[in-house]
Amino acid sequence: MTRKTLLAPAIVAVAALLAGCSSGSGSSESDGPVTITYGIWAGTQTPAMQEIATAFTAENPNITVKIQERPYPEFWSTLQTSAAGGTAPDAFWMLAQQIRPYAAGNQLLDISDAVKEQQVDLAKYPKAVLDLYDQGDGKLYGLPKDVDTNAVWFNKALFDKAGVAYPKAGWTWADFRETAKKLTDPAAGTWGVAAPLDYQGGYYNSIFQAGGKVIADDGKTAAIDSPEAQAGIRFWTDLQADKSSPTLQQLSDTEAETMFEQGKVAMYVSGAYWALKLYDNQAIRAKVDVAPLPTGVKQATVTSGIENVGYAGTKHPEAVKKFLLFASGEKAANIQAKSGAVLPAYQGAEKTWMNAMPEFKNLQVFIDAKAYSVPLPVQGNAAEWQGLQAKYLTPAWDGKVSVADATAQYADAIDKVLAENG
Amino acid sequence: MTSRGAGQWRIHVVLIVAATLMVVPFGWEILTSFKTSNEVASLPPTLFPAEPTAGGFRTFFDKTPFLAQFLVSAGSLILRVAGQVFVAALAGYAFARLNFPGRRTLFACFLLMLMVPSQLFLLGQFDIMKGLGLLDTLPALAIPGIFSAFGTFLMRQAFLTMPKEYEEAARLDGAGTFRTFWSVMLPMARPMLAALAVLTSLYSWNDLLWPLIVAPAGDARPLPVGLAGLQGQFGTDYPTLMAGALICTLPLVVVFIVLQRQFFAGIANSGLKG
Amino acid sequence: MTRQPARPRTSGRIDWSAYAMIAPAFAGLAALYLWPFLSTFLKSFQTVPVFGPGRFTGGANYDKLLADADFWGALGNSAKYTAIVLLGIPLAIVLAAMIQQVARGRAVYRVLFFLPVVTLPVAVGMVWRFILNGDFGLLNYALSLIGVPGQYWVADDRFAVYAFAVVGIWMGLGVNLIILGAGLQNIPVDLYEASALDGASRVRQFFAITLPLLSPSVFFVTILTTISALQMFDLVFIMLGSVNNTALSGSKTIVYLFYEAAFVQFKQGYAAAIAIVLLVIIMIVTAVQFAVQKKWVVYD
Repeated sequence: MTRKTLLAPAIVAVAALLAGCSSGSGSSESDGPVTITYGIWAGTQTPAMQEIATAFTAENPNITVKIQERPYPEFWSTLQTSAAGGTAPDAFWMLAQQIRPYAAGNQLLDISDAVKEQQVDLAKYPKAVLDLYDQGDGKLYGLPKDVDTNAVWFNKALFDKAGVAYPKAGWTWADFRETAKKLTDPAAGTWGVAAPLDYQGGYYNSIFQAGGKVIADDGKTAAIDSPEAQAGIRFWTDLQADKSSPTLQQLSDTEAETMFEQGKVAMYVSGAYWALKLYDNQAIRAKVDVAPLPTGVKQATVTSGIENVGYAGTKHPEAVKKFLLFASGEKAANIQAKSGAVLPAYQGAEKTWMNAMPEFKNLQVFIDAKAYSVPLPVQGNAAEWQGLQAKYLTPAWDGKVSVADATAQYADAIDKVLAENG
Repeated sequence: MTSRGAGQWRIHVVLIVAATLMVVPFGWEILTSFKTSNEVASLPPTLFPAEPTAGGFRTFFDKTPFLAQFLVSAGSLILRVAGQVFVAALAGYAFARLNFPGRRTLFACFLLMLMVPSQLFLLGQFDIMKGLGLLDTLPALAIPGIFSAFGTFLMRQAFLTMPKEYEEAARLDGAGTFRTFWSVMLPMARPMLAALAVLTSLYSWNDLLWPLIVAPAGDARPLPVGLAGLQGQFGTDYPTLMAGALICTLPLVVVFIVLQRQFFAGIANSGLKG
Repeated sequence: MTRQPARPRTSGRIDWSAYAMIAPAFAGLAALYLWPFLSTFLKSFQTVPVFGPGRFTGGANYDKLLADADFWGALGNSAKYTAIVLLGIPLAIVLAAMIQQVARGRAVYRVLFFLPVVTLPVAVGMVWRFILNGDFGLLNYALSLIGVPGQYWVADDRFAVYAFAVVGIWMGLGVNLIILGAGLQNIPVDLYEASALDGASRVRQFFAITLPLLSPSVFFVTILTTISALQMFDLVFIMLGSVNNTALSGSKTIVYLFYEAAFVQFKQGYAAAIAIVLLVIIMIVTAVQFAVQKKWVVYD
């Protein structure tokens, strides 16, 4: 074969590909049909998001919404890269612990004018979640999409096997620890609880239950080394010390949630966002139930939620604003609720969400938990200081360093990050 | 070496044991891809799938735009290989056979580039692609790889070893420099061109870091990035992960089986250096 | 490496069209390599925010780097990884010599040993992460059969780097085999025949003939292996698996640290400083290797 005959088809193929790649972007005129992209991370919510996009286009035939799905950890690195490169999705999910650098870097679309114009009633959204995203600059970057609180998922079959009573509202830390111990059966390879190093679904809750704080009220220094906060962390290290939980290394090879689905751990503390995944797993659906978090000095759970935000660099700001209001609005809330994917932030869709998973009888605990919920600590560049947890707290979980020493060192590291962004 | 036949079986035993160690991971990958995730997590592990299922493959094809990613991988490979071979052959020829002021200095510059780790270029290359508005496009994946000091170096080696006579004959026939290069010398360099093409294909197909960075929005993500993402999404769903790994690996393995000779020649001539 | 004449066989007269021929390569290298190199160098003296332009802060990044325990940890991990992967070279020499000796099946062996080279490194990492899983990995099961307790190989920073390195050897063996095999083929057969007549054993021949004559190829393979091992990224990225990995903070390599700084934390000035330091390390290591080779590489 000569070089020419080899190259010709190659060039054609490449040309076709190039054409295919660039055909996605719509025109920039406001009246003509436009396509906007919606960046989300992969999971059980994708079908609901697709449905919301379709419903939006039905109302706004000129605007097509294309879902752009990313695996979770990569979602953030690619979002940052693409925002810096000018190719971020037009609309995307945001977390309170991540928003700071984007807002400070003017990467987010201010939608306050659209919210005013459309007379969106902000009272319909949980104030705690709205506050989490407030950057104190008088702008509004998005609206809450969902809200989460934490509770204890448990496996009834493992409780029955061990002859232990199911957890009840009002149970205490001591009850929890005792229950975890009783449920642990090394011979069968099952543990009472998973005690991973998890802030939102884990030790932040117990820090607040112990009357402690992660960050001091002034937002400038860490409070994670206070005696109360240390007590909250000891709640988890004790479970590790009791060997009531797989070690962190085991949980690193197989995530806690997977272990719970595999029936290897009896209790898993986490959010409402796992409900649908557990419900969809036929092998475990009938065995799963949920109870409120145990009470320490007081009752508490951290709360947060995803917000829908827009990219400041979008070519279609008006279309994006329209979509953001829709995606966090009542109709979208009902679509989300009906799918069971997540508890919508917009008030009034709770019943629909619970009815989506009729065999889970006690989902109400997540809604009741709102009453004693505490906003997720997200001061400063939260993603950065939260990212340091593994480095400083792993030795405490492993029992190699005392909680007091580990938290003292971690507090210093947090202080440094907070000072940098001060 | 016929006199050595007697001890051959001992060598074979060692080689077979070693080769088995090379192949076991692939065998395990294939077997696992047909199991259920519960079977994978059971102890002791089963060798053959108790209830063979294609569930892993189904999940993989459901969740991954395999064809699109394959086309991106293949398209950027073609672009990169064609460009690299062309650019490197031209420059390699000039450095090997032509006399011009500054030749040694310029070639030394090329060689210096070989030493520098590729990470050093990433930040700047990203800025360039961003500036050109090429992020998330196929050319962005391929362009930096087209210009490789290594390719030029390799082609120079090939042209150096060629006899002078052909060139002189062509010149006597009145052919200019470029014509001599194109119709006389380049065809003779075909083995090295093939070797370079094969090596470049290998780097292009396997590359993770650059596409991870330069295709953030994901319209132009090749297989390695897609596969890495699969792990982020299905962390411990090993049947799906193994099915994906298998499918993404297969195309190049098939090409390798067909073009073994070129692969080995490419490596032997040059070693692996991107 | 192919042997080459000392000087290029150029015709005496100056050919100006040469500039046109090197122009594409030169322009590409200048724009896509030289310029990025310079910009990275400049960036390493800047503090670059996530969004927006950077400002010069002198040697701050380097000061921070040298005081950063993570950097020294990563440096140590890269050194460990490289040292162990280099141990794969003696293995490759022995195997290459063995393949050279067998009369039948050479092609099959070569293909089998080469398979990992044509496998996506991402796929390699995934398969091995599974094999090395602490609870239901194949390796721990195999070890349990002979009474050796299992470990959480990729979740325990006491082991993770070594696990990467073993996989690195497995992955690179095929390349080394081919290069060394080509070197072996250049050794004249009559040398062996002559020494066989003198009654030399095969082991003796290996040390007296094979190793010295193969030393240029061995040197070449050593250089390549060192440089690529110092730049290992894919395997580590995949085998560490997730940000929750307990081995993550203790098992990063230099290039992983660079990636994390540049594209996860988006501290590009700091990342640039890491890249520059990596360049310096590679230059020093390569220079040392070239200096030492005079003592052991035999050129005829």
